[in-house]
Amino acid sequence: MTPKPKGNRFGFKDLGIGIGLRTAHYAHILSKWPRIDWFEVLAENYMDTGGRPAYVLDQVAERYPVALHGVSMSIGSTDPLNREHLRKLKALADRTKAHWVSDHLCWTGVLGRNTHDLLPMPYTEEALAHTIKRTKRVSEILERPLVLENPSSYVEFAHSTMPEWEFLARLAEEANCGLLLDVNNVYVSSFNHRFDPIEYLDAIPADRVVQYHLAGHTNKGTHIIDTHSDHAIDAVWKLYAHAVGRTGRVATLYEWDEDVPAFEVVLKEARKADKFRRAVAA
Amino acid sequence: MKLGKLQKWMQAVVVHPGSTAAALRSAAARRLLPARKLQSVLLPSPTLSPAERVAVYQEMFPLRMYDALAADYPGLEHFLGGRFLEFAVAYTTAHPSKGYTLNRLGDHVPAFLSKQRRFSPRSFLVNLARLELALTEAFDERELPPLDARAIAAIPEARLAKSRLITVPSLRLVKLEWNAGAYLDSIRDENHNHPKPREGRFFIIVFRRQYAVYRLPVSQAAFDILRDIAAGRTLGEVVERSLGRRGARRASPEDFSRWFRHWTSEGIFAGLKRA
Repeated sequence: MTPKPKGNRFGFKDLGIGIGLRTAHYAHILSKWPRIDWFEVLAENYMDTGGRPAYVLDQVAERYPVALHGVSMSIGSTDPLNREHLRKLKALADRTKAHWVSDHLCWTGVLGRNTHDLLPMPYTEEALAHTIKRTKRVSEILERPLVLENPSSYVEFAHSTMPEWEFLARLAEEANCGLLLDVNNVYVSSFNHRFDPIEYLDAIPADRVVQYHLAGHTNKGTHIIDTHSDHAIDAVWKLYAHAVGRTGRVATLYEWDEDVPAFEVVLKEARKADKFRRAVAA
Repeated sequence: MKLGKLQKWMQAVVVHPGSTAAALRSAAARRLLPARKLQSVLLPSPTLSPAERVAVYQEMFPLRMYDALAADYPGLEHFLGGRFLEFAVAYTTAHPSKGYTLNRLGDHVPAFLSKQRRFSPRSFLVNLARLELALTEAFDERELPPLDARAIAAIPEARLAKSRLITVPSLRLVKLEWNAGAYLDSIRDENHNHPKPREGRFFIIVFRRQYAVYRLPVSQAAFDILRDIAAGRTLGEVVERSLGRRGARRASPEDFSRWFRHWTSEGIFAGLKRA
């Protein structure tokens, strides 16, 4: 008999099913206050504005649970941590009473530059030690455990000495951080790098998963691009079902960032997760 | 390869403005990894070579810069059409993003265009960019409640002359030498009858009220008054300076009364600093 999952070790709540807060949906949200469990907020879009985005965020945070999701922490970069970014991130998390703060296992630039892409890490002992040290430091600064998301990637480094899932599991354990498990990213990378996605999911420490991401992608035939521009394919939903079977019900979010359709379309896609969540214990 | 060196090499390849082959052979990349040794760093997949795999990142980079700049400069994108990508690549090569957000990527566009000869008519494009930058800045400024007109009316005239009006943080005063405002109007209205670049003197105020950004053409006299107010001059000084001007730059007492009522109702003032 499979033991009942006990939830994550940080005590982060299962917020239910949410979608990303996007500009295209502001008017709908402010006029309808739709029934949805929670919103994920792209942190950098709200750090430096006192305009409408800040107003909308404050309204949303008053009425719904929110979690912050960043794209520029560059946790794996060999550049120094950006203290101004972290200070503003913490202030935003405090202001919105964010349930947690996440970013990506990646680097976005070096030499003071930001490519604004989520560039992949080599999976080496050197990179692991570097990322563990920085993750611990960020968690101290933010005064909460950082949550890191597995990336989708298009290259593999020849000198990697371990698979991504081992790197992620060791990072989570040794830096004591949470994990945002992006099931679509696992699928995309498994196609691009020809690994078994189930082996990946089974290696992830279930009690560190505090959030799931789901999304659509674009299959170019020779490789898959993580475009967040479509419905999730059945294979991704099957992986989600497998993952939820291990972790129990965990906050789940559907990402739709390109050619963003109407709010209800995105919500309907996100709600497909209900079926799989109901099948497992709370 | 050590992590730091690997990241410097990969970034040099990803941000290179040419083809992936040229990026791998560029001096910045070659210094860290000779192109012939690519396979020692990147593995092939069953369907893609190492160069094709890194090309996924390298080809997406300029498109991401394009999207970020087009969001802030839709008029410039419309005017340049197919050449906007060339502009985006040239601009971000000269002014790469160093911040955690793309929101401020385009801050140097007017200054960049003023030094460029390949995009013309240069002066028109600089004017268009200045106006669009003002709109973006106004969008992100902090919101303050507008000044209640009754607060002004309650002050005796003698004290009012020594008081200073405080403008909302979003106010931008844009003086143009080309018809960039009319060009933006034609895009907004989707009338497909876009005016040709034309020289002239145009005075525009940009501001935000209730989280919506507005731009209004004003006379030169009104523009000068608002500029003096924004500079922190007392209302007495503002009036005196305006009455001392000549021709189109001079406002009548009726103008003062009408404009102040209008500006107050538009929410351009956020406070009054009493003498």
